Amino acid sequence: MMANDIRPEASRERLLDVKGLTIEIETRRGPATIVDGIDLHVDKGETLGIVGESGCGKSLTMLSLMRLLPNKIRVTQGEANFAGRDLQKMSNSDLRKVRGGEVGFIFQDPMTSLNPVMRIGQQLAEPLIYHRGMSKAEARNRAGELLKLVGIPGAVERLDAYPHELSGGMRQRVMIAIGLACNPQLLIADEPTTALDVTIQAQIVDLVKELRDKLGMSVVWITHDLALIAGLVDRINVLYAGTVVEDAPVDALFANPRHPYTQGLLASIPKLSDQRTTRLSSIGGTPPEPGRRPKGCPFAPRCPLVEQICHERVPSLEGTGKAGAHRVACFVAQRKLEAA
Amino acid sequence: MSVVPVTTPAETDVEPPVSLWRDAWHRLRRNRLAVFGLMVVVILAFTAAFGPYLTPYDFLSQDLSARNLAPSMSHLFGTDDLGRDVFSRVVYGTRTAFLVAVVVTFIAVLIGVSLGAMAGFFGGLLDKIVMWLTDMTMSIPNLLLVVVINASLKSPISSWMEGRYLVTLNPIYRETVWVDFLLVFGSMALISWPPYARLVRAQVLSIRSRPYITAAQALGLTNRIILMRYVVPNALGPLIVAVSAGLGTAMVLESAFSFLGVGVNPPTPSWGNMISDGLRVWQHYPHLLAAPAAVLGLASVAFSFLGDGLNDALNPRGAK
Repeated sequence: MMANDIRPEASRERLLDVKGLTIEIETRRGPATIVDGIDLHVDKGETLGIVGESGCGKSLTMLSLMRLLPNKIRVTQGEANFAGRDLQKMSNSDLRKVRGGEVGFIFQDPMTSLNPVMRIGQQLAEPLIYHRGMSKAEARNRAGELLKLVGIPGAVERLDAYPHELSGGMRQRVMIAIGLACNPQLLIADEPTTALDVTIQAQIVDLVKELRDKLGMSVVWITHDLALIAGLVDRINVLYAGTVVEDAPVDALFANPRHPYTQGLLASIPKLSDQRTTRLSSIGGTPPEPGRRPKGCPFAPRCPLVEQICHERVPSLEGTGKAGAHRVACFVAQRKLEAA
Repeated sequence: MSVVPVTTPAETDVEPPVSLWRDAWHRLRRNRLAVFGLMVVVILAFTAAFGPYLTPYDFLSQDLSARNLAPSMSHLFGTDDLGRDVFSRVVYGTRTAFLVAVVVTFIAVLIGVSLGAMAGFFGGLLDKIVMWLTDMTMSIPNLLLVVVINASLKSPISSWMEGRYLVTLNPIYRETVWVDFLLVFGSMALISWPPYARLVRAQVLSIRSRPYITAAQALGLTNRIILMRYVVPNALGPLIVAVSAGLGTAMVLESAFSFLGVGVNPPTPSWGNMISDGLRVWQHYPHLLAAPAAVLGLASVAFSFLGDGLNDALNPRGAK
């Protein structure tokens, strides 16, 4: 599934295509931009990793696709096409059919993302009854199958358990089962392993990988942990302050990161070969606050390669690889590539 | 490279399925005070419903040859200064207390829950107006309001009804007991709803921002389903507890108003007006005070034990 960039352009079919999406938050000092004209796309059968630090707009972008943004945060510009339809302009009732039916969501915190007073069998059955028109008995059978699919021991007996009777890893499996209930074309996983310990994280990643191959769906996996998803995704988008700064096939990104921010991220992953006395590398400074974005490149104040132009203009995401598959939004990186 | 863990026999034996309510019932049964409270409440409710049909005497029938008798087998709680059976009057007073408590709590919960849920759900200006109304209502001293309503509305209504009776000779207009009840219900409901509104608003506000609500929305469920199956059941526990406590409070409040003569008026028996009557002669006939006072105390304590027990039982994570 790797090296997606060598596939001919024609065989790809866009499933999700986000163009110029801008998200603003209302503050006392007026609206502040959180996500700044982001462009994203996911092809059919493709797995996209979205990487970025906390608060860079990863989750909000995904929530905004389904129009699930919290109060005071809203989309002000841009469009999001899913299977040829604009999600932002769709009627509420059509959108509800997409939610859960065609796009499955897995949330960050399995401890609080399940209804505590509803048995998990019922929670699994809910989308099946609503989207697939199943009877209660059919939905219960299917719910049992789904729990088996996500590897929950004693699946059928567990249908009658309450969320608090399951461990965190088991609950995340239930969440995945709920996300997959209606065989969605796209599964959006919003940091699904953040609340779990390391061995469980690996299990969940492998589970999603296996299910993706079995069910042939597209996956968007949001994370701040580059290493975790290296074996899972086809392509990675690196987000910084609400913009995509680098978009590359996973191999290319790890082998040859071009944006200074991506380089910083990769350098900050601890390696086994490091000496115990080596300090972990980090990127100095903090990301810009919403409403206080610099005029030029948002990374400029923290960038080791910063030049005068970076403070004046915002670089656009330009294709630089052979097929244009490796794109970067950095004046310095672009100039280097042109020179090469 | 499947890493889905292999099912081991040890992991499959799960405890038998229990519903939230059955689970809560099990926990409630383990709590002795709550069981005591529940038993007393059930007995009182039964008494309120069927008691007046089972008592040996009518609560109004006077026997002037048997005044102020001490408790005996024929008169369990003795008789009062008009020779009426005190036991029968306490039983009928239970009906009065329950009727007032249930109707008042029902109205108060209805007003409080709808206002609170709307305020919490829609927020904004509506929320501000509702909360302003709540604060304003809470600032009214309840006793003063009841006195004012009694003083201002009771006599006009009574005289209007008297006039109607003289004109139409319809016996409906002679029956003035329900005017008491109407005034008591009305004024008490008017001052009892704010706590429910605040509670439900706070519940809805906190539940609305929980991740499982977003998760339910992401599943494409309608607002109605989310409200009925996700928001309301999660808000129900505290509300049930508040209702249980509220019933007890309403009972005590009714007795207090009747004690002061602004609630249910004689000859309709209420624990409150019986206590008031008994207080004048307690040195000579202590049973006239003791009987209604003891039942009132028991009822109040029972409701509060039950409310506490429900509070513990309805929280699935509080399981010991």
